[in-house]
Amino acid sequence: MIQLEKIYKWHNNGNNRVFILKDINLTIEEGAFISVMGPSGSGKSTLLNIIGMLDEPSEGSYRFLEQDVYTIKEKQRSELYKQNIGFVFQAYHLIDELTVYENIETPLLYQNIKTAERQAMVADILDRFNIVGKKDLFPVQLSGGQQQLVGIARALIAKPKLLLADEPTGNLNSKQGEEIMELFKKINEEDGVTIIQVTHSEKNAAYGKQIINLLDGRIEK
Amino acid sequence: MIRNYFKIAWRTLMKNKVFSFINIFGLSIGLTCCMLIALYLHNEMTYDQDQPEADQIYQIGTVFEKKGAEISRTPNTPHPLAEGLHREFPEIADATHLLGMFADDKTLLQYQPANGQAIRSFYETRGYLTTPSFFRLFHYQFIEGSPESALTGTNRIILNEEIAKKIFGNEPAINKVIHINSNTNGEHDFTVGGVYRTSLKPSHIDARFFLSIAGGDMEQYIKQRPNDYATNNMFFSYIKLKSGTDYKKLEAKLPAFIEKYASKDLKAMGFWKKQFLIPLKEIHLAAGVTENVTPSGNRTFLYILASIAIFTLLIACINFMNLSTAKSSQRLKEVGIRKVLGANRLSLVRQFLSESVLMSVMAFLISCMILLILLPYFNQLAGRHIQFSLSENLLMATGFLVLALVTGIIAGSYPAFYLSSFLPVKSLKGKLTNTTTSINLRKTLVVFQFVISVVLIISSAIIVSQMNYLHTKDLGFVKDQQLVIPLRSTTAKNISASLKDALKKNPQVSSAGASMYYPGIMNPSDSMMYREGQTMNEGKRVRINYVDFDFLKTLGVQLVAGRLFDNAYPADTSYRMVVNESTVKEIGFASPQKAVGSHINFDWQGKNYKYEILGVVKDFHFEDLHKLITPLAFEVTATSASQNYLVVHTQTDNMGKLTKNMEQEWRKLNPSEPFEFSFLDEDFQRNYDAETRLTYMVQCLTLIAIFISCLGLFGLATFSAEQRRKEIGIRKVLGATASQLVILISRDFIKLVLIAIILASPLAWWFMNKWLADFAYRTSISWTVFVISAFFACLIAFLTICTQAIKAALSNPVKNLRTE
Repeated sequence: MIQLEKIYKWHNNGNNRVFILKDINLTIEEGAFISVMGPSGSGKSTLLNIIGMLDEPSEGSYRFLEQDVYTIKEKQRSELYKQNIGFVFQAYHLIDELTVYENIETPLLYQNIKTAERQAMVADILDRFNIVGKKDLFPVQLSGGQQQLVGIARALIAKPKLLLADEPTGNLNSKQGEEIMELFKKINEEDGVTIIQVTHSEKNAAYGKQIINLLDGRIEK
Repeated sequence: MIRNYFKIAWRTLMKNKVFSFINIFGLSIGLTCCMLIALYLHNEMTYDQDQPEADQIYQIGTVFEKKGAEISRTPNTPHPLAEGLHREFPEIADATHLLGMFADDKTLLQYQPANGQAIRSFYETRGYLTTPSFFRLFHYQFIEGSPESALTGTNRIILNEEIAKKIFGNEPAINKVIHINSNTNGEHDFTVGGVYRTSLKPSHIDARFFLSIAGGDMEQYIKQRPNDYATNNMFFSYIKLKSGTDYKKLEAKLPAFIEKYASKDLKAMGFWKKQFLIPLKEIHLAAGVTENVTPSGNRTFLYILASIAIFTLLIACINFMNLSTAKSSQRLKEVGIRKVLGANRLSLVRQFLSESVLMSVMAFLISCMILLILLPYFNQLAGRHIQFSLSENLLMATGFLVLALVTGIIAGSYPAFYLSSFLPVKSLKGKLTNTTTSINLRKTLVVFQFVISVVLIISSAIIVSQMNYLHTKDLGFVKDQQLVIPLRSTTAKNISASLKDALKKNPQVSSAGASMYYPGIMNPSDSMMYREGQTMNEGKRVRINYVDFDFLKTLGVQLVAGRLFDNAYPADTSYRMVVNESTVKEIGFASPQKAVGSHINFDWQGKNYKYEILGVVKDFHFEDLHKLITPLAFEVTATSASQNYLVVHTQTDNMGKLTKNMEQEWRKLNPSEPFEFSFLDEDFQRNYDAETRLTYMVQCLTLIAIFISCLGLFGLATFSAEQRRKEIGIRKVLGATASQLVILISRDFIKLVLIAIILASPLAWWFMNKWLADFAYRTSISWTVFVISAFFACLIAFLTICTQAIKAALSNPVKNLRTE
């Protein structure tokens, strides 16, 4: 599903080149559940963002679902992204001005899905995540755990093949964190969604089927 | 999708209520200001445009020359000119002349109903004397009578609908007889020949009624000088050219005409004149001709207004964009999230555009409402009858809507195109580094806005101080507690002596005197006078007022030499004058004492008139302070016919009771005429109506400018506080107090305002010097005005910035730093 080859990412700091990622080669099969670990500044989030097409490497190639991400047209890449990738953030990143329902609905709006179908999809996921009662509330009216639940629901609404999570439990207490991890496990096993998560916690990392360790921009073997 | 955009737009508006209000309202003010001025300009530029034959009609103007140099340029001509030209030149199809009732402050119209009801008396203004051909040139919508015959014959009057209704109610007005008393035209009966509907379109002729010249005193005046092409320059002449005639060609033939008909008289008078033609549509804004039938508009003033309108709108639009942009940087995170959720640039562009367009359309709607509310007040201020209706001003309304939309689109395009251009990772961090160029642009803008504000603040202060000077300056006579009773009919003039005697019995009346003119109103009577041994060619213009024995005492003017008129000397009524000091100086007497007993002369129609100077009074302001004091002489008249006003000097604390008393006396003597009076000081102040209007206008503009520039500053402060959040957080952690932080943030802005003050002060000084130059008597511009204005501007700016600075200074540093 994902093939990263010779991925480099650097900043120019004066005359020095500061490397964030160095020579990353990585292949990920469909259905995988990978935890990326490493100390602060090791390039975890950057790697995740590159996989998620939110960021671009300075050098290297990236194939996603047999397509070369950096040679296809912007529009195709956008379609590829919209239909296949969902994102979950540590800070949830819900839109404050929208209700729970509207937040979850937004990705569908950008995919031009018809109203009736949209309503059915949102109703379905609200039901699945057990947050029907919260659908008209605004993000500030929810607890952190609930907000993250909405964030995950929003990431999954368009039925992506890949879910990317950047420290999804970082702002949550351990009980809430466990619940989210259980949810991830279930999604991975039951729906076959490929998951890549970045985490600091050994315990959470253990939910994954495979762990990748990053140190100074390199994958530790 | 669109619904979603508007939903989020609305919620964003609601979330930042204060900000949204300020922003939308700011744009509304700018739009309203601009729309009002546009309406006014449109009105000024469409004078007489609706006259169907406007392109063929011309007014004849006159340039007076003495020894080859232009003395004055007026729209006034002698009465035979229009008809004379018509006879002489075949390309002229028709001609007419018009005369205002220049000596009437109001004209008395009386109607005696047939069924023995009481006489109905009304004082009316804006009457004109004219010829039947007037209605062949100018088209009026007649509801009674017809334009062809309405004014033919003698003693005919044409009324506008309003007056007809007032006098006759619902009865037909045609062929009814109105008794008219006029200082200009005497006392005569006139038969109603027609009633017309007043046009709402602006015209330089603002008549409420027309009288036929035939049948009044003016006809006699005209008959006395059938071929006088030199003097009697008080008529407005109009000609209608045959279609296809080039008026410039006709204009070129006019000097020969003057040579042929007027040269003999002109040479005797010692001056020369040239005629020129003004196209009807251009009369209102004709350059150099100010005192037309109605006061002319001023093109320069219109340009100034137009530039004010454009500036206000421009600044309001730019502020709107600035504020929107400053606020939108807070939405960078949202842009990031939306991108992560699959939004492409186009949909983000659409979202931000629909948001700002929603705001600008709201601003447009609000400004339409404000416009409708303000228009009546604006009309009052501008002295116009401007109306706003969608059908009439559709183009303008559409124009402004488009303008609002464009503003909205430009304001939205920064967040739309700039914010959406970032990689989502960057925007999710919610940090925006602004380039220095855009900051500098904003700073320049704020300085520019404050320059305008400070100029206006200083100007307001100087105008107010000049107005104050005008109100309090000693005029050289007693202006307070002086009541003016106009004597508008023969009856009123005849009773003036008995009324005066009756009033004098009242202990609260110290004296009373009648005259033709009184200080503050126009005193057009004049003669070219010269001293013994000189000729008419050395004559100096001396204004003449015809008074009774008591007038000068009532006015309280100060005697310098000789004596005032006294009814103990009956000979005072024949060829004796009291003059002011300026006359003594201008005519060339060594001193007032030497002038007393000397003679001054003038010649008229070949005859010499000689006056003995009885006394000299100290110069006093018989005209308003725009004008220098010029020669003025008084002559006592034996008859009451030339007494237009009775001035009563009172000493009372209860003016209401006294005037009631006076009214009773008036009623006893003159029961059929309403009693009216005014106060001399108020009448005098009426000369400054234009300045009073200007004061209001400048004050309004000052408020708007302050408001708008504060908006600009507010936007910049918001933006900068946003930018410096981290810095402020760190400084706080390091122990800075709130007040230190407020000073830190404010300092930069106060610097901008100071720059603005430095730029604005000389500008304001220059403008105000120009404005003050219009006044012969004026206050000096004191440096304290600048200091106080500067302080005021700084204070306003500081208060504006404070709202943002205090907010930033008091915010929790942990929160500010965590976003990093």
